[in-house]
Amino acid sequence: MSTLQTIQRMIAEQFELKPEDLVPEATLESLGLDSLSVIEFMFNIEDEFKIKLSNELLENIKTLQDVVDIIEKQVAEQHGKAE
Amino acid sequence: MSRRVVITGLGVISSVGKSPDEFFASLMAGRSGIRRLQAPFADKLDIRIAANVPDYNPADYFSKVKLSGIERVSQFALIAGAQAVADAGLEIAEEEQTRAGVTLGTGLGGATTLEEGYEQVFLRGDPRIKPLSVLLSMNNAAASHLSLTYKLQGANVTYSTACASSAIAIGEAYRQIKHGYADVMLAGGSEALLTFGAMKAWEALRTLATEDPNDPGASCKPFSKDRNGLVLGEGAAVLVLEDAERAVARGAKIYAELVGYDCSSDASHITKPDSAGQTRAMRSALRDAGLQPADIGYINAHGTATQAGDIEETRAIKAVFGEHAKVPVSSTKSMHGHVMGATGAVEFMAAVLALHHQAIPPTINLHQPDPECDLDYVPNQGRRDVPLDAVMSNSFAFGGTNAVLIARKFA
Repeated sequence: MSTLQTIQRMIAEQFELKPEDLVPEATLESLGLDSLSVIEFMFNIEDEFKIKLSNELLENIKTLQDVVDIIEKQVAEQHGKAE
Repeated sequence: MSRRVVITGLGVISSVGKSPDEFFASLMAGRSGIRRLQAPFADKLDIRIAANVPDYNPADYFSKVKLSGIERVSQFALIAGAQAVADAGLEIAEEEQTRAGVTLGTGLGGATTLEEGYEQVFLRGDPRIKPLSVLLSMNNAAASHLSLTYKLQGANVTYSTACASSAIAIGEAYRQIKHGYADVMLAGGSEALLTFGAMKAWEALRTLATEDPNDPGASCKPFSKDRNGLVLGEGAAVLVLEDAERAVARGAKIYAELVGYDCSSDASHITKPDSAGQTRAMRSALRDAGLQPADIGYINAHGTATQAGDIEETRAIKAVFGEHAKVPVSSTKSMHGHVMGATGAVEFMAAVLALHHQAIPPTINLHQPDPECDLDYVPNQGRRDVPLDAVMSNSFAFGGTNAVLIARKFA
């Protein structure tokens, strides 16, 4: 499963949204995720991908694609380091 | 400015009922909501009985998305609040929103969240806890969710005065309307503290009733010689209070008028109740109501079923109502348990429903008369068709706060 597919599944499940609305260019705001929802979502992402997301990283997230990019970068950096 | 304040809506979720009708029917039937707690930690408790909300499934009331931001104590408040608003047929126009508010009482607030968080960091060494823990556990969360849901833009205040919290919340809401600061208030209390840590803390204080060997439901025995303590409960009760003119103008159903309230502090001991402070609160509430003791047809007692507490309250009632007072006094805690921060609201609602139905709920499990508790406690059997014009509800708290509310038939 790609990173995008994983987060689509997670968002659909956590926020009871329709998977077809979860296109990469959709902004989190347009999906109805307010700042608190984003914080909760990032918490679950940290669990799912076994990474840590700093507050600075979160500031630049607008769309689902941004989320995918940040996850993939952090997975590479943080897991690369560990191994 | 002094305006009349009426009660136009009721809502409750408790161990004995999830609506005012079910709640009052249980009380009149003498049905106890006290039972052996089924919880993962129950076998580590010395005292396993509690008055929990039975068969409670949050998903019956809230969407999954909503639930992640609303903890048990707020869920109860929202459920009771929704009932009360619907019961009152309350609509708050946009221009009225700043004249509408909410006051709630709670003792421990979001106890479940706090305990889960502590368990994670202290026991499991998790580096993180739930991201919304602060917002879930803060004491004013329940009131704030009511404010958000109904766009109440006036006062949004949470009172935490232990067992008197929600009686104070109702009394202060009454003053908001009486003195012209608001036209409509949601007022009540919510409590959800049947958690492992909280129950252990109460065990340690040695004020909890032990389980009745024959019937766990009969463990709380207010005013009975064999009483040995209180039983923890959970739930919420919310009332709609309204400026009488507004309520009459819109043709609202009016349960009763809230005519009297006051509070006092014992200032004598952190836990030991003091009839002098209780007496002052009752007298002062009567004065506020412009009523004489003889006008009160029923008192819903604080009646926790501790040895000292029931004697002291009896003394206080005698001081106000006379040594040979005939006024019926009952402790419905014998059925719904001690709902702590919500108990004042739950019990005031019982008193308002008693007035509404002209029926007095009993004190159950009262089988051994105590010479030091010699009032009419309506033992074991409720009474119907009692002409009631005014009723009183007492709430006396750890910390010394005493709060008394008086409701009267609206005429």
